[in-house]
Amino acid sequence: MSGAVLKLEEVRMAFGGLIAVDDVSFEVTPGEIVGIIGPNGAGKTTIFNAVSGYYRPTRGRISFLGQDVTGRQPYELAAMGIGRTFQIVKPFAGLSVLENILVASYLRHPHQGEARSKAWEVLRFIGLADRADLAAAGLTLAGRKRLEMGKALALEPKLLLLDEVVAGLNPTEADQTVQLILKIRDTGVTILIVEHIMRVIMKISTRIIVLNYGRMIAQGRPEEVARDRQVIEAYLGESAEATGGSTP
Amino acid sequence: MLALLPQAIIDGVLLGGIYLTVAMGFSLAFGVLHIIDFAVGEWIMLGAFIGLIFTKWLGVDALLSLPVVFVIFAVVGWLLQPLLHRVLSGSRGRPVLMGLVFTFGLALAFRGSALTVFGIFTHSLDTVLSQGSWHLDWGPFFLTVPLIRLAGLVYALAVILGFNYLLKRTDFGLAVRAVAQNKEAAGLMGVDVNRTSAAVYGLYVGISAMTGVFIGAIVSLNAGMGPDLSIFAFFVVVLAGMGYLAGVPWAAFLLGLIQSFFLIYFNPSHVLLALFSILYLILLISPTGMFRKGV
Amino acid sequence: MRGRPAWLWILLVIAAVGTVPLLIADAFFLRLFTEALMWIGLAITWDLMAGYIGYLNFGHGVFFGVGAYTAALLITKGGWPFWPALALGGLAAGLVALVSGWPTLRLRGAYFAIGTWALNRAVGQVALVLDFTGGPDGMRLPPFLHPQFFAYVMLGVVGATFLILWLLLEQAPFGLKLKAIREDESGSLAIGLNPAWLKLQAFVLSAVPTGILGGVYAYWITFIDPSSTLGDLITDQAVVMAIFGGLGTLIGPVIGAVLFFSFKTYFWAYLSDYQVLYLIILGLAIAATVFFLPDGFWGTVANRWEGRRALRKGLSLGQAAGT
Repeated sequence: MSGAVLKLEEVRMAFGGLIAVDDVSFEVTPGEIVGIIGPNGAGKTTIFNAVSGYYRPTRGRISFLGQDVTGRQPYELAAMGIGRTFQIVKPFAGLSVLENILVASYLRHPHQGEARSKAWEVLRFIGLADRADLAAAGLTLAGRKRLEMGKALALEPKLLLLDEVVAGLNPTEADQTVQLILKIRDTGVTILIVEHIMRVIMKISTRIIVLNYGRMIAQGRPEEVARDRQVIEAYLGESAEATGGSTP
Repeated sequence: MLALLPQAIIDGVLLGGIYLTVAMGFSLAFGVLHIIDFAVGEWIMLGAFIGLIFTKWLGVDALLSLPVVFVIFAVVGWLLQPLLHRVLSGSRGRPVLMGLVFTFGLALAFRGSALTVFGIFTHSLDTVLSQGSWHLDWGPFFLTVPLIRLAGLVYALAVILGFNYLLKRTDFGLAVRAVAQNKEAAGLMGVDVNRTSAAVYGLYVGISAMTGVFIGAIVSLNAGMGPDLSIFAFFVVVLAGMGYLAGVPWAAFLLGLIQSFFLIYFNPSHVLLALFSILYLILLISPTGMFRKGV
Repeated sequence: MRGRPAWLWILLVIAAVGTVPLLIADAFFLRLFTEALMWIGLAITWDLMAGYIGYLNFGHGVFFGVGAYTAALLITKGGWPFWPALALGGLAAGLVALVSGWPTLRLRGAYFAIGTWALNRAVGQVALVLDFTGGPDGMRLPPFLHPQFFAYVMLGVVGATFLILWLLLEQAPFGLKLKAIREDESGSLAIGLNPAWLKLQAFVLSAVPTGILGGVYAYWITFIDPSSTLGDLITDQAVVMAIFGGLGTLIGPVIGAVLFFSFKTYFWAYLSDYQVLYLIILGLAIAATVFFLPDGFWGTVANRWEGRRALRKGLSLGQAAGT
């Protein structure tokens, strides 16, 4: 194997007659931040669901750290090192912020004491330590997105799937989240990120994958992808934003 | 043995019709209002008893009491729904769970009331159709189709057709479907969600009560019959696939057939256990119901 | 909490309660005492599923009945001594949970409720028709009239159950994992939890002590029949007590059980001629509690307490942030 963290080989997700992901193949190498972009309905979250075990691919293979993990359960994949956030954030609402992270910490630290230390560590890392005892339901959207990432981080993942963690945040919050993502990357975690906010994803990704109608239409460095004709056609007009104002 | 087969089938179909009406209302309440009403069996039971009051005290044929029963219970349901709604949309506790417990409590209170007022004895409702039946001689087979059971089937079909018409061809039905799919959006579109919900619940309670009159006439009625009926309604819905309305008729008739076969070929007192075991097996094999379209 | 660990406090309370039968030897009082303890046990085991995982078991009584009948059969027909029969009663209940839980736990909360309810009724019907369980006439056990003995047995069983559940649910990771499943079962998969397995464990855990309680009941009352052990009343009362006390904690159901049992005893003393009225009261009590006090008695109190604490904390945070 090439040392890829994640490898998708001709993965197809069909729901009845609808083909949400159409023979998509790509690799993610360690330490990268790979961004997945595409118009709505392009299949981005579906790929996340397939990679994290929530969907079983209709066809194709998914390999993680050299092992075939196609069709494995989400909790098995979590144990192997895949962490994810959800597009519509799902905090454990009735539990406190600390407890949210704590439950996730049990995966690597089965004992209460160690798990607590780990949980606090994560809370400090994501900047929610001062809101530890607050009920998760009482957090702002920014807080919840942060908590979502924290839960995934507590799993000590090797691969982190971030699903639209910046959407809905104001510019300050968005920048803080970007800083956090880079901080996570610096700890050695490989990141696969789906995002609609072009300036964010273009800025932080080492590589971009573009999906349209379930197919991969382009792959490469952000600058290359921004100039790709098919991508421009798919987006029609957002390319100017993507390249920061300069026309191709 | 085989000679009994056609009778078993006929009985099964007729039973299925009753199951269908019981389950249809229950599914409607769930599909539209997202209420799982534990009291469905009690509504049926209470409807039967009101029918009984009509026949015993007013000397009216049970079937003629149907419209009155419907109106009474529809109003009761209409008035009750806002309470349910308040429980389900509470901010404290866990609303969905609490909604269940609430209807569970109501069911218990209804059962207790019925037992207090009517005692533990079994009654039956008399109608002009009670004694009659069609007899069919067909070769080696001799079929008896009790008219009252046939009436029950006709009623079931009428309810389905009525529902279908109501939901698909009327403005009210459109509002109902909108509320079922997305309450907030429906409200924003001008649908009076509260009134529509109350009306749906009233409809469901009214129909369940009418079903009670039929069951009282076809089988019998007693104050403790609620739970078994609720369980039957649930069985049908789970077998059909939760939330999958189109599967309900099939599941209802299948269960009716299973029950009638059991009654004819095996020991009737094991019916519930048999049904439960079958449901159990089906859930093991296909948790989303027999059509795999459940939620 | 700083200071002595929780389990020590629990043991102290159990020991304190344990002095009561020594101080008051009145048979009638001990009977009430024993029964109150039994209800505590039933309420906390019901709450394990309802409060911690959010799965309503409306057939909880089936474990009680299975335990009662198993113990009764072993004692009367098998000549077994009390303690092993008791243990096997618990085991039998656990087995029922294991077998029935596997498919029914896949159902969403509501349908799980009806599924377990149906199981309870089905087993009740079986007990009604089978000859060797005595049919509708039930079974009689050899009389062993020692009120203090049973008071201590019940205290021991319920006390041990409370302690074990406390350790598992409030100290160990298990409890928090269950709560996570309650909050978001689908999301809990992503953080490495296997809900099916955890739910099954909890289900069996709620069944075994209940079965043991059934066994104790059988030997204590010396008479069991389908309606008293496999009827709806066991579950219905456990439900009221747990809900009234407050779901999701262990203390809530204890308080609910004590309060409601006291009410029931009082009621019985004055209105025992109107037993059917009891059902109405139960039903209305459940509905009213849900409507007016969804967090239960203890839940509401605890929330106010938490709320004030959080408010103080929030205010101090606000001050620190300069708002």
